[in-house]
Amino acid sequence: MVGGFSILLWIGAILCWIAYGIQYSNDKSSSLDSVYLGSVLALVVVLTGIFAYYQEAKSTNIMASFHQMIPQQALVIRDSEKKTVPADQLVVGDIVEIKGGDRIPADIRLLSAQGCKVDNSSLTGESEPQPRSCEFTHDNPLETKNISFFSTTCLEGTATGVVISTGDRTVIGQIASLASGVENSKTPIGLEIEHFVHIVAGVAVSIGVLFFVIAVSMKYRVLDSIVFLIGIIVANVPEGLLATVTVALSLTAKRMAKKNCLVKGLEAVETLGSTSIICSDKTGTLTQNRMTVAHLWFDNQVFVADTSEDHSNQVFDQSSATWASLSKIITLCNRAEFRPGQEGVPVMKKAVVGDASETALLKFSEVILGNVMEIRKRNRKVAEIPFNSTNKFQLSIHETDDPSDKRFLVVMKGAPERVLEKCSTIMVSGQEQPLDRSTAQTFHTAYMELGGLGERVLGFCHLYLPADEFPATYSFDVDAMNFPTSSFCFVGLLSMIDPPRSTVPDAVTKCRSAGIKIIMVTGDHPITAKAIAKSVGIISANSETVEDVAKRLNVAVEQVDKRDAKAAVVTGMELKDMSPAQLDELLANHSEIVFARTSPQQKLIIVEGCQRQDAIVAVTGDGVNDSPALKKADIGIAMGITGSDAAKSAADMVLLDDNFASIVTGVEEGRLIFDNLKKTIAYTLTKNIAELCPFLIYIIAGLPLPIGTITILFIDLGTDIIPSIALAYEKAERDIMNRKPRHKKKDRLVNKPLAVYSYLHIGLMQALGAFVVYFTVYAQQGFRPSALLNLRVEWEKGYVNDLEDSYGQEWTSYQRKYLEWTGYTAFFVGIMVQQIADLIIRKTRRNSIFQQGLFRNKVIWVGIASQVIIALILSCGLGSIVALNFTMLRPQYWFVAVPHAVLIWVYDEVRKLAIRLYPGSWWDKNMYY
Amino acid sequence: MTKQEKKSFNQSLAEWKLFIYNPTTGEFLGRTAKSWGLILLFYLVFYGFLAALFSFTMWAMLQTLNDEVPKYRDQIPSPGLMVFPKPVTALDFSFSVSNPESYRGYINDLKKFLKSYGLEEQKNLTNCPSGVFREQNGPEYTSCRFPLVLLEACSGVDDPEFGYSSGSPCILVKMNRIIGLKPQGEPRIECILKGENTAVLSTYPSNGMIDLKYFPYYGKKLHGSYLQPLVAVQLIFGNRNDINEVTVECKIDGSPNLKNQDDRDKFLGRVVFKITMRP
Repeated sequence: MVGGFSILLWIGAILCWIAYGIQYSNDKSSSLDSVYLGSVLALVVVLTGIFAYYQEAKSTNIMASFHQMIPQQALVIRDSEKKTVPADQLVVGDIVEIKGGDRIPADIRLLSAQGCKVDNSSLTGESEPQPRSCEFTHDNPLETKNISFFSTTCLEGTATGVVISTGDRTVIGQIASLASGVENSKTPIGLEIEHFVHIVAGVAVSIGVLFFVIAVSMKYRVLDSIVFLIGIIVANVPEGLLATVTVALSLTAKRMAKKNCLVKGLEAVETLGSTSIICSDKTGTLTQNRMTVAHLWFDNQVFVADTSEDHSNQVFDQSSATWASLSKIITLCNRAEFRPGQEGVPVMKKAVVGDASETALLKFSEVILGNVMEIRKRNRKVAEIPFNSTNKFQLSIHETDDPSDKRFLVVMKGAPERVLEKCSTIMVSGQEQPLDRSTAQTFHTAYMELGGLGERVLGFCHLYLPADEFPATYSFDVDAMNFPTSSFCFVGLLSMIDPPRSTVPDAVTKCRSAGIKIIMVTGDHPITAKAIAKSVGIISANSETVEDVAKRLNVAVEQVDKRDAKAAVVTGMELKDMSPAQLDELLANHSEIVFARTSPQQKLIIVEGCQRQDAIVAVTGDGVNDSPALKKADIGIAMGITGSDAAKSAADMVLLDDNFASIVTGVEEGRLIFDNLKKTIAYTLTKNIAELCPFLIYIIAGLPLPIGTITILFIDLGTDIIPSIALAYEKAERDIMNRKPRHKKKDRLVNKPLAVYSYLHIGLMQALGAFVVYFTVYAQQGFRPSALLNLRVEWEKGYVNDLEDSYGQEWTSYQRKYLEWTGYTAFFVGIMVQQIADLIIRKTRRNSIFQQGLFRNKVIWVGIASQVIIALILSCGLGSIVALNFTMLRPQYWFVAVPHAVLIWVYDEVRKLAIRLYPGSWWDKNMYY
Repeated sequence: MTKQEKKSFNQSLAEWKLFIYNPTTGEFLGRTAKSWGLILLFYLVFYGFLAALFSFTMWAMLQTLNDEVPKYRDQIPSPGLMVFPKPVTALDFSFSVSNPESYRGYINDLKKFLKSYGLEEQKNLTNCPSGVFREQNGPEYTSCRFPLVLLEACSGVDDPEFGYSSGSPCILVKMNRIIGLKPQGEPRIECILKGENTAVLSTYPSNGMIDLKYFPYYGKKLHGSYLQPLVAVQLIFGNRNDINEVTVECKIDGSPNLKNQDDRDKFLGRVVFKITMRP
């Protein structure tokens, strides 16, 4: 991730070894200092690399454990024997048997099938079970009925088939390889860090080379100049940053995992924060993924049913006698049943045998009426005609639960228009009334209204058979239809929808205020898609599509200016005919877009279109066929519950609860970490100047070296590590969900004001403060600042053992060396003390520290404590280890830089105040990073 | 591919040109003249302020210092030894008896060093009683005379070439000045020859004695005329027709508070030097 730094450090290490080589060839007894330094640099690179790898591997492990690693088994007939073999050992030509519940082990052509239905949703996105038989019905393998695909599921029935392709050659395998063929572009944060590395490396190399040239032309020996170069590189490279960024990202990843967003690559943590477009699925992500009764119509009135997740709050009027009849039909004309053994489970969570709408009706009636099974038992079913696509109705005949009433009750439900055809009366307030033209009209109005909401509407009617014609012993024959199927009494309509998750509208609003555009991409019908989009706010209440505008103005669709319509509903058919330019125009001109009836392959086209707009695109998906789009997206989000393994492995993130609202928390965390990384980097960069200036002053003014290279490493990798991680715990300054997503090319992680402010303002102030400590130490020991100027050459001559200080005393070279180390320690402490101030000012970029609260982020204080403790240990405990170049420091020197630290803090408060007071001013533009 | 690269190179060149000077906006290096003016003014003021502040803190810090004695003297508790003439690269003296040019530098260096010990220069100094510390309370501080005759053959008075021309070179050994240092016992500098003995070594004053009257030292400002006691080492080589190479080690001895053995500091209370004399 921070490869550029590693290269710089390797160069530094190699230069160290070269310098030692030259020294050694001149003088066999030369000190091993530069070898140590080179080794330390190499060690730093290797260790930070291992650390980053470990962190990355740890978060990948979460994913690995997530996969179910159970090998798939297949029942195969080989040598006239049935054998169970692992699915990956199947070969083309094997005969396999499958039964309901099995995953299909390879692409197979069916040889025989009994009532076989497969779920192809992971492959094609069709959610309805597909019947399978051995007839060849279509040239397209995806359409023909006699082929079942690898990794799809057999829902019911049994089948025998011959394997026609395995592994990568299966349809799924091809899609998977298509997905792996999609270029995995760099993550936005990866690009940002690369940009930052370029800046820092550029500064390091240019200053290094510049001063190398200066040093050489000042008649320094080349060897010395190389040593300067190493010092400058080490001072400039933030050695600890790689580790810090990795830790900060993995902290966020952990936080997001707690909120049900499992992130695979650490860098993807931030991507969600810069996302500007989310292409979301409908089913399951925005909706609850179950049919639910939404509206009822009886007594010429529309009633609204509660569609929330637990159905608890059914408020419609249940006193009408019509409702009593309607509820009876709903209860009785229904083949769905609860699976046994679920007594303790809430109604809405119980597993049901039956199709989606029957399940919805069963649960609806169970919630309102109580024990449905008991009611059905009291009204024994004597005959029934199940629903089929030619009849479009379902009918059943029951005894009544009233012992005095010996009549049979015929109940029917089905497509409203078909049901109405069979009716001659309609029930209003419990009274049968003849069905005349005007009542039929009200029925149609209601039907159209509910249909317009994108809901699936069912009509309900009943008929009491006269007891004299149909005595209790009468034998009903559903094939001969020996009972009336007309002159029913129409009771009511009921409409169902897969309702939005209750948290979604709120999440959509949040996204909208965060400047994120949400595009719905679904395979569903446009009307349903639009209805859901409206109900969750993807199409806001007051915006219109081109068609809406046309309807309102009563003109043809072609005459409407497309720019008048904020919203657009585009079907897959229309999308197919669009050129890329037209798609771009569509994406640019409409802020609220719904793609309906799209094939999963078109998702990829939509994603590419969005990326052409310079947007950072998040895509949600669950099917195998979504995986190319997931891969193509800047961040692919797979569904943890419904998602296929292929989708999960192609995605960068997995939503454990399949809930769209979790994405919003992800966005929030992503934005926060971007801000906090900015703070971390600003904090880390600042001291680089304080570390660099000593070398420059040393070369130009000839002072004894104020800080050693090893000492610099102790700042970068010692005292500064925990504080810079602590900044990752900082809370957001303002509502980060109220601003636009950052622009990929304009809002950089490290921008010019950040670099300038860190380097040329705070960094310089730090350098001055540290120099004050340094000069104080030297002056109090006898070397006044004036005596230090150009002292370097004499100072460093090992054989000069009577160097005179400002007071006439004479120093041996080791005594000077020891004083020099004291100087290093003093400079180190000076920087450390001012880094505390730097840490505190970096808590905010705009707000005052007091607005942010000094004690809200406790980790900052842990960081400050760690700085002080590490510095104390280095100075006191390790002062005796010569190679480290630390000495004991008098207590008062620890406080010399404190006024400078206070100054840094005051200066930054003034900067922030001016930014807050004069937004948009020259100051704001130049000083806000 | 190359075509594309070339194009992008030209593009980036054009971008650079536009960055350096943009004629439409009048921007030079990304800023207009006014913007440059503002930013330069800002930095002028800001850095001016910082410079003033830094100067002030430094001034304030210097005010806390004593002009006469440094605040702390803990890092030089014990003096180092140093030799004269001052070596050019290492403590390695090498000359040829027959070639005066080869030792002229050494002689000049010694003369220069001993200049402050001249009779004329010592005229105003005091003759102090030997064997006792000369503690003073000011305000005037006087210094004790160090008569050059103490150095006998190495004084440069009788032999202005310090024995170099006659194959018996002199090296002066001195102890580093440290303010307030009071050696205990009877400090002296003892020099020995290491390795093969091809020469005879004599020290002046005899036994390398250092008189206590030269201590303590009160610092450059109060004690400007101070002369450090010196010890001369003369090597008299037996065979002047061969190349003679000797290593001499000098140590402070006889004073318990002056260290002469330190693993890290090779010059603390001792000094080792080599003399190579060619015919």
